[in-house]
Amino acid sequence: MDEFQEILQDFLVEAFELVEKLDEDLVELEASPEDLELLNGIFRVAHTIKGASSFLNFDVLTHLTHHMEDVLNKARHGELIITPDVMDVVLESIDLMKTLLNIIRDTSSDAGVDVSECVARLDKISGGDGDVSSPVVTAPVVEVAEPVVEDEPDYDNMSDDDVEAEIQRLLEQRQAEDKAKREAKVAAGEEVLAPPPEPDEETSAQNAKESKPEKKLEPKSEPIKAPVPRASTNARPVSDNEDLDNDAKAAAPAKRSNNSVDQTIRVDVKRLDHLMNLIGELVLAKNRLIKINDDVEERYEGEEFLEELNQVVSIVSLVTTDLQIAVMKTRMLPIGKVFNKFPRMIRDLTRELNKKIELVIKGEETELDKSIVEEIGDPLVHIIRNSCDHGIETPEVRLANGKSETGTISLTAYNEGNQIVIQIDDDGKGLDADILKNKALEKGIISEKEADNMGEKEAFLLIMKPGFSTAASVTNVSGRGVGMDVVKTNIEKVNGIIDIDSETGVGSSVKLKIPLTLAIIQALLVGVQEEAYAIPLSSVLETVRISKDEIYTVESRSVMRLRDDVLSLVHIGDIFEVERILDSSEHAYVVVLGLGAQKLGLIVDSLVGQEEIVIKSLGEYLKGIKGIAGATIRGDGGVTLIVDVVALMEIAKNVKATSMISDQNSESAQSREKTKASDYTIMIVDDSKTDRMIMRKSLEATGMSLVEASDGLEALNILKQGDYHFDAMLIDIEMPRMDGYTLATEIKKYNRYKQMPLIAVTSRTGKSDRMRGVESGMVEYITKPYSADYLSSVVQRNVNFKSEFLS
Amino acid sequence: MSDKLKQVISRQNKQQQNESIDQSDDIVQLVGFIIGEEEYAVPILSIQEIIKPFTWTRVPQVPKYVMGVFNLRGAVIPLIDLRLKFGLSEKKHSDETRFIVMKDRDDVAGFVIDRLTMAIRIKKENIGPAPDTINGDNTTIDGVGKQEDRIITILKVNKLLERDF
Repeated sequence: MDEFQEILQDFLVEAFELVEKLDEDLVELEASPEDLELLNGIFRVAHTIKGASSFLNFDVLTHLTHHMEDVLNKARHGELIITPDVMDVVLESIDLMKTLLNIIRDTSSDAGVDVSECVARLDKISGGDGDVSSPVVTAPVVEVAEPVVEDEPDYDNMSDDDVEAEIQRLLEQRQAEDKAKREAKVAAGEEVLAPPPEPDEETSAQNAKESKPEKKLEPKSEPIKAPVPRASTNARPVSDNEDLDNDAKAAAPAKRSNNSVDQTIRVDVKRLDHLMNLIGELVLAKNRLIKINDDVEERYEGEEFLEELNQVVSIVSLVTTDLQIAVMKTRMLPIGKVFNKFPRMIRDLTRELNKKIELVIKGEETELDKSIVEEIGDPLVHIIRNSCDHGIETPEVRLANGKSETGTISLTAYNEGNQIVIQIDDDGKGLDADILKNKALEKGIISEKEADNMGEKEAFLLIMKPGFSTAASVTNVSGRGVGMDVVKTNIEKVNGIIDIDSETGVGSSVKLKIPLTLAIIQALLVGVQEEAYAIPLSSVLETVRISKDEIYTVESRSVMRLRDDVLSLVHIGDIFEVERILDSSEHAYVVVLGLGAQKLGLIVDSLVGQEEIVIKSLGEYLKGIKGIAGATIRGDGGVTLIVDVVALMEIAKNVKATSMISDQNSESAQSREKTKASDYTIMIVDDSKTDRMIMRKSLEATGMSLVEASDGLEALNILKQGDYHFDAMLIDIEMPRMDGYTLATEIKKYNRYKQMPLIAVTSRTGKSDRMRGVESGMVEYITKPYSADYLSSVVQRNVNFKSEFLS
Repeated sequence: MSDKLKQVISRQNKQQQNESIDQSDDIVQLVGFIIGEEEYAVPILSIQEIIKPFTWTRVPQVPKYVMGVFNLRGAVIPLIDLRLKFGLSEKKHSDETRFIVMKDRDDVAGFVIDRLTMAIRIKKENIGPAPDTINGDNTTIDGVGKQEDRIITILKVNKLLERDF
């Protein structure tokens, strides 16, 4: 019962969603009846509902959808044109479907709705005579309606006429019951004083009692007492039965929504994403809080409130961490959730097909992102149905072929690299490539030429084409050539790959390889210049530290020796157009990337470390940038791009030798042509305003442009911004925040400032000071005090000032 | 104190009345900003927020005016420099530089502008079409708003958010 209930709930949630969509799609289809894609989509939805309802034994629903599907199928093959009249009937059948689903939700069975009229009309549209259907419609109704008299043989033994009569009788009874039920419902919902119960009421009351055990006595008193106490006290002794019934009806929907259908809530992935983002923010805030706490602790050591603050901070951080894990877990589901419904399905199928099949499930604990789990349910149903119907042979055939009577289908899930593989194996008759090709030719899916060039594996994939079916007849189980189409569509939606392998007579195996794109991945963070990139760790084989002279150039490509191999190299900066601002050091790191048999060495400036990252898309505006798979947000709130290793290997083929060493001086050598005195720009760095003024005065006469900075950091920032092109700098040594030596050392790290003359202007006159100046890259050393002329001449000499500019 | 309060309340009421009057007319609410020398505006409802500049991450293989992406409370959002997009020279960010985050349905992007001017209420009748020479489907100009002494170019947000490379 429990297992069934669980499946039923899933079915209902899904079915309601699908029907909702059907409505929309059909209306859209009416507007554009030529849209085959849309029609195919609608057909698939109908097919899915039919499939699911048939295996849950909702025969009325199955019957209805089956006929609807027939109509759609005709339309799909162009044998029928969707006129508004046809659409009316189809929409009516959708409404009926909704009614049926509601009834299923309330009573767990689909009895009580007469679909025969609608089915007849559907049948007429699809070319039948309209009568054929009615007995088929009602028979299942009977079966489900009276669970007590479920013994089918009884009916089997009756003559056709008897069956008709019996059906007629039961139908009438059922309709009367329904009427009463509806009335009772209305009564219970709107007023307590119900109309006198009809004779049939009792049966339905019993039904209600059966479907809902003792519990209902509890809520009973409340709804009755609250609105009209008098009525309830009076009514109870008179007709307890009626009361009970009304109560049950009133209470039932509420109760159900509490403990059945709403047990699982489908949540839009966007909402989860949003939640995840919020938690990310919270984590950042938490990190800051911890840092502040540390600072406060340092400053107010020994104060009493610190203890309390500490406690709060640690609770906040603990809860945040837990919250983060909890939300991440909401996205992950064990694949068992999908697998669990298959044993029942197989059992029903074996009965239906008269085959003996055993299902073996492995790896159901493998976890998958929720959205993927939802997408793979349908495809798996279709694949397994296919295996049962077409794959596994009947026991007789199996025995004749020397196989065991019972066929085996095994369903396995496992992780492989950054993919999840779901494998469905059967030991049936396997696929025959030639038969598949012929069939596809026959149906005009492929041309003769294509068939000739087609390999075995490609031929197997033909079964995924829409409209392709090898089954001779259309059965309830499969054969409409739509199922495998669903598989392909859904798997491609999650960027998965389908791989089919088969051996005639031995069995076939379908592998669904699904990437974990939505999941959190491990990444290696690398640095190049001032940028960082994340490389998925799954494609990193190793990292090596090399010195630059280990890089050789072969046919204008960089290579290096890695043990016994020659590894081709590419600089990450060449691929991502990174500007070389900072001088790269003697050493570099090579990240060896592996993709199947392909290998590539990626040169980076530094290795930052390994981190767990959440992949985020760059969005519509920036999608499809070669070499970038997405972005992630780092602990400091910055954005880091994620390298797409597959694309990177492609790009690398077209990148010529890394220009690591070549462009060293290019930029600074390009010193612009000077046409007037003010083209020369000098930066004055001194913390004393007076000193800056003196320097300014000394140089003003030359007409050079002057920029001032009051300490090393400010000077460095001005340089970084690159607003000016400086020809020289005058630097004081003793300054707050950053002194002259440090500034000089920092400046020399930048390629473009390598050649810029740095002139120290200082009152420090010691020899060791001068030495330090030279070491840090100063070219001149002017000691204070100095004459204006001297300073001016030193500067002019160092910037090659053209004397003609001197006025 | 209570007098002051009354004053404030009465003023607010007046404002609200004014607003309701304005709303009854065909009033368009815009946010104006400067790029280069020109004043531009976009409808206030297409603006998600306006923030001060902060760090962004460069993205390779895009036109120069796409500066990169930045983190807006967990979402990775493209950052576009309107100066460069409009063919002006690059300019360093100043204290007045702002990122305007605009949205059009699901599309969101940040735009760098030189400086904000003000929220503008302008009557629909005062908005003229874009000049004929730049009219057409491809222009980012929605219309030209006329206000006493100035002319404001109103931009199409959906066009700005459209990828054009």
